[in-house]
Amino acid sequence: MISRSSLAFRLIAAASVVSVVLLIAAGILLSSLFTAAVERSLDARLQAVMDGLLASVELEKEVPKINNVLADTRFEIPLAGWYWQISSLDGDPTRQVASASLLDERLPLTQFKQPDRRPGNRMSGYLTDQSGNNLRVIEQRFTLFGSKEQYSFLVAGNFDELQTEVSAFNNALIAVLGLLGVGLVAAILLQVRYGLRPLSDLQGELSEIREGEQENIAGSYPDEIQTVTDELNLLLKSNTEVIERARTQVGNLAHALKTPLSVLTNEAGIHGGALGRKVSEQAGVMRDQVSMYLDRARRAARAKTIGSSTDASDVVQSIVRTLERIHVDRKISVKSNYDTEIRFRGERQDLEEMVGNLLDNAFKWTGGKVAVGVRRSMSPLDKRIAWIDVCVEDNGPGLPDGGAAIAMERGKRLDETKPGSGLGLSIVSETAAMYGGKLFLNKSELGGLHAVLTLPAARRGDA
Amino acid sequence: MRLLVVEDDPDLNRQLVTALCDAGYAVDTATDGEEGHFLGDTEPYDAVILDIGLPVMDGVSVLENWRRDGRKMPVLILTARDRWSDKVAGFDAGADDYVAKPFHMEEVLARVRALLRRASGNASSEMTCGDLTLDTSSARVAVNGSAVKLTSLEFRLLSYMMHHKGKVISRTELVEHLYDQDFDRDSNTIEVFVGRLRKKLGIDVLKTVRGLGYCLSEPDDQS
Repeated sequence: MISRSSLAFRLIAAASVVSVVLLIAAGILLSSLFTAAVERSLDARLQAVMDGLLASVELEKEVPKINNVLADTRFEIPLAGWYWQISSLDGDPTRQVASASLLDERLPLTQFKQPDRRPGNRMSGYLTDQSGNNLRVIEQRFTLFGSKEQYSFLVAGNFDELQTEVSAFNNALIAVLGLLGVGLVAAILLQVRYGLRPLSDLQGELSEIREGEQENIAGSYPDEIQTVTDELNLLLKSNTEVIERARTQVGNLAHALKTPLSVLTNEAGIHGGALGRKVSEQAGVMRDQVSMYLDRARRAARAKTIGSSTDASDVVQSIVRTLERIHVDRKISVKSNYDTEIRFRGERQDLEEMVGNLLDNAFKWTGGKVAVGVRRSMSPLDKRIAWIDVCVEDNGPGLPDGGAAIAMERGKRLDETKPGSGLGLSIVSETAAMYGGKLFLNKSELGGLHAVLTLPAARRGDA
Repeated sequence: MRLLVVEDDPDLNRQLVTALCDAGYAVDTATDGEEGHFLGDTEPYDAVILDIGLPVMDGVSVLENWRRDGRKMPVLILTARDRWSDKVAGFDAGADDYVAKPFHMEEVLARVRALLRRASGNASSEMTCGDLTLDTSSARVAVNGSAVKLTSLEFRLLSYMMHHKGKVISRTELVEHLYDQDFDRDSNTIEVFVGRLRKKLGIDVLKTVRGLGYCLSEPDDQS
C-alpha cells in the first residue's frame, strides 16, 4: 500500500519510531514510579511495626524482651515472609528476640554496610529468606534504656505479595500504552494521508498538463506547495516561450535563406548558360533542404509542447476564407457545416497545416464544389477519449484506384501538372499520426476526393 | 499599368523591377515598410507586390493600413513564411494573392497579370476591343490577327485603356498610371503617344472625349 521509497513511508516510519520510543520510556518511568510508591507504602507499614516494637521492648539483663504481642498475626505464620527481630550487634544468640514466624532462623545483620550507623538512622534493603521469599527489610539501631549497647531492630515484609500488585499495574500499563500507540499510529496515518493529499492533487494536474488538457496548474494549494506550483507554472511558461522563440528563429532563418534563394534562382534564370543551369539546379536542392530541415525543426519544437487545444471550426473557417479569396475568380461554391464547441487537442499551427493542405488540394482540384465539415467523430479510434472529424470533399477527379497510399507517401505526386511540392498529404497523415489521429481518403458523393481527418478532441471547457 | 514593389532585399528588388519593366509595367519601388506604405497611400497603383518581412513596418501592417484607409488596389504578397497561419494573416489583412519564397519570376509575373485582369473584370488574359486584341501574358497586340509592334510606353498606354475599356480616362490619370514617380511628367506628351498609337493601330478605337480625356471603345459604339 505504501511504498518504502514514499514520503508517506518516511513520515509514518519516523513518527512511529519516535512514538514507540517515547511510549516505552514512559512505561518504564511509570512502572518504576509505581514500584517506588509501593516500596514507600510498605516501608511505612514496616515502620509502624518497628515503632510498635520500640514501644514494647525492654531489657532484662541485657536481653531484649517484648511485653505485648503484636496485633498483626502475619508475624506468627511461620516463614511467610513477615518477620521482626531485635538483636545485639555482636550477634550473641542469647541476646535476641524475634517474631514467631522466624522459628529458629535469624536474619543476618551484616547486610547493611553503609558507613552511617548512627542510632535511629533507618536503613532499608532486600533479602531472601529460607523459603525463597523476597523480603523488604528496614533496620534501625537504638540504644535501649538500661544498656550502653546498641540493638538492631529489623522488620521484614514479604515483597512478593506486593510484586503481584506491581505486575498487575505493569500489565495494565502495557495494555494502555499499547492502545495509545496504536491510536497514535492511526492518527499519523490519517495525518499523512490528509497532509499529503495536495501532492496527489498536484500530480493529477501535472498529468493533465502533460496530456494537453490544461495549460498550467490552476488549483490552490497549501502555502508550502503553492510556492512549488508557482515555480512550475513559471517553468511551463518559460518552456512555452522557449518553443515560441525557437519557432520564431526557425521562421527568421527561413526568411533569411529564402530571399537569397529567390535572388539566385532568378539571376541564374536571366543569365542562363551552363553556370546558370547549375546555379538553378543547386538552388533548387538548397530550397528542398531548407524546407526539409525547417519541417524537422518544427517537429522537434512541437514534440516538446505541452497542453494546448484549438478551436477546430475557427481554424477551418479562416483557411476556407483565405482559399476563397485566392480562388475568387473560379466561382467555387463551398458548402460548410461546422459543429460548435469542437476543440482539437493540440497545436493550432499543426491543425492549420493539416487542414490547410487538405483544403488546398480540394480547392486546387475541384470542379466548382467543395464541402467542408467539422463534427464530433462517429467512429472514434479509441473509445476512451473523444475525437473530432474534419471532412473535406470536392467534385474534382479524385484519386485513381490504389492512389490513396501513394498520395500519402512523402514527396509523391500523382499529378505533376498542378503546382505543389508533393508533401501535402504525407505531411497531413504524419502530423495526424503524431497526435494518434488518422487520415482517411475515400471517394466522395460529389465525385472527387473525400478526405476525413480524425483527431483527438480536447475536453469541453479546456482552454 | 503602374506597379509598386516593396521588397527590402536589394537584389530581389532589382530583379523584380527589371522583370516587371521588361513586361511593360511602370514600376516604383520601396525598400522598407514605411516608405512602401507612404507610396501606396498616396500614389494610384494598379497593383502592389508587397514583401511581408520588411524593416521599419512589416508587410501585414502596411497592408492593413492601406485597407483601413480605403486603398483597394490588388496586392500580391511575397512571403518566406509559408505556413497557413501566415497565409491566413496575409489574406485577412487584405491580400489578394501570395507567392511563397523562393519563387520563379514567371510565377510573380503570372500572378500580377491575373490580379490586374481580375481587377478589371476580365476572365482571360486576352482582351479584345472590336478588331483589336491584346494578350497580357505574351504582351502581344494584334489588329485583325496581324501583329502590331508597339514601344513599351505605347503598350502600357493601350494596356491601361484595355483594362478600363469603355471608361473615360483623363490625361492626369494616364500620366499617373503610365510613368513611375521619378519620371519627368508632362501631360502634353500623352497626346503625342495617343496620336502615334492611333496611327499604328489604324482603327478608330481610341477616342478623344473633349475636355475630359480618352475612351477606348469599339468603333461602332458611340460614346
